[in-house]
Amino acid sequence: MSDQATRRRAGQQRMERRYRRLLALYPKDHRREHAEEMVGVLLAAAAADDAQVRTPKPVAWALRFAEHTADSADLVAGALRIRGRMALNRIGRAGWFSRTARDQRWSDALAVVSVVAPLLLLVAALAEVHIPQAAASSVTGHPHWQLTAALGPADLPLAAGAPAVAALAFGRLRRTAGLAALAAAIGQVVSGVLRSAPAFTRYESPAVAFTVLLACTAAAALLLSPGPDRGLALLTRGGTALVGAGALILGGFSVGGTMWFGAASPPSFGFAGLGGEVAGLPGDLLIAAVLVTVAAACLRAPVSRRVLALLAIPVIPYAVLWQEKLAGDLFGSPSGGASTLIPTSVTMTYLLPLILAGLIVAGTWLARYRATGRARRVDPRTTSAGPPGTLRA
Amino acid sequence: MQEPTFLILTALAARAQHGYGIMTDVARISDGRVRLRAGTLYAALDRLKADGLVASDKEEIVDGRLRRYYRITDEGTQELAAEVGRLRANTAVAASRLGLAPGTA
Repeated sequence: MSDQATRRRAGQQRMERRYRRLLALYPKDHRREHAEEMVGVLLAAAAADDAQVRTPKPVAWALRFAEHTADSADLVAGALRIRGRMALNRIGRAGWFSRTARDQRWSDALAVVSVVAPLLLLVAALAEVHIPQAAASSVTGHPHWQLTAALGPADLPLAAGAPAVAALAFGRLRRTAGLAALAAAIGQVVSGVLRSAPAFTRYESPAVAFTVLLACTAAAALLLSPGPDRGLALLTRGGTALVGAGALILGGFSVGGTMWFGAASPPSFGFAGLGGEVAGLPGDLLIAAVLVTVAAACLRAPVSRRVLALLAIPVIPYAVLWQEKLAGDLFGSPSGGASTLIPTSVTMTYLLPLILAGLIVAGTWLARYRATGRARRVDPRTTSAGPPGTLRA
Repeated sequence: MQEPTFLILTALAARAQHGYGIMTDVARISDGRVRLRAGTLYAALDRLKADGLVASDKEEIVDGRLRRYYRITDEGTQELAAEVGRLRANTAVAASRLGLAPGTA
């Protein structure tokens, strides 16, 4: 065998090894069925390309390199396409987006939250761009609040996401609304991470955590419940009043201070959370009173207790925000400083809500497990089976 | 229907072909404009098989390497015919709006 043939053979073996490494990206089943023929096709195509090249050596080498790089990139893209399609099929088969909570009371609670959470998210977004503030300003003639002119790309996930979620949710596109809420939550975290601002003004901020977790709660409620139609049917007059109160305190929190609570002097410090400036102990106490009243009213019935548990997830960072404001009002120092009653931390803003969400999921799972056990004890036919896999007539 | 899919089905409409044969035939049909690479070809074949438009035919070993042939199914033939009809109708409308005589488009 001539030197040239030996070199070509060695080059081909190197190429084959490289293609085989890339084929490892493909799913096992696909690899088992197609790997050998794909290698054959890749080598045949490479040999045909080599035969066609009639240029000086450096140019031929560059062309060959470009072809092999393009083939490698195409193999990676092909693997991603096949894996993506498999993942989508799996999701479709599992019916992830067509499942709802099995427990009727949780299903109803989620349905109520699928009405409340998108509305609160909308109010939070409006407050972020100072719309309630501007409305209050136009009614009262107070010059302090104006529509924010500094709406940047970082505000876009909430500013655009919240109206979209509300429109889709009430336009009977429940699952799309749920996915939009999820996208709004992810978008807020990503824009918070990318934002070049000091810590605790980005995604770690309780204000951002509140809207992120509210969007997550809205997503869960929309994806796992029958949707806003059922929620609206369940909301009594009292419930509607509670939703209104919740929206009012959220809007009030951001408008706050001199406008809502009649304080004589302008706010003593800039309160960046939710785009508003709030001051005044009466305001803090009113917010606390409304929250406690809403919570107490929710304790009365099983479904509303579950609504309370679900809404507590985003309300935890809101409470952190509230205690920051309370500390500011009591001690007169800016929020987030050393004088907050409880030091603000990522643990407080994200971990506690996540623990609560975990407890809810674990609690429902345990309840279902117990219920299944009880059903088996009551109906022994369900346990009188033979070995696993035995078919019964 | 995307162009690579259309061209793969067109290549297989004439006869059953193996992977490299499809690649060269697609290049020929498209006058060298579309060049399928292995990753794209096998991702498309995987999808077309899953959709029932293409099926595996015979296998052979050439130079110690596996060569699997693919053929278009009846469903694939119907799908391709429907796409040809759609393209022909669109082409006719485009040609008439451009004021072209039939056969010059």
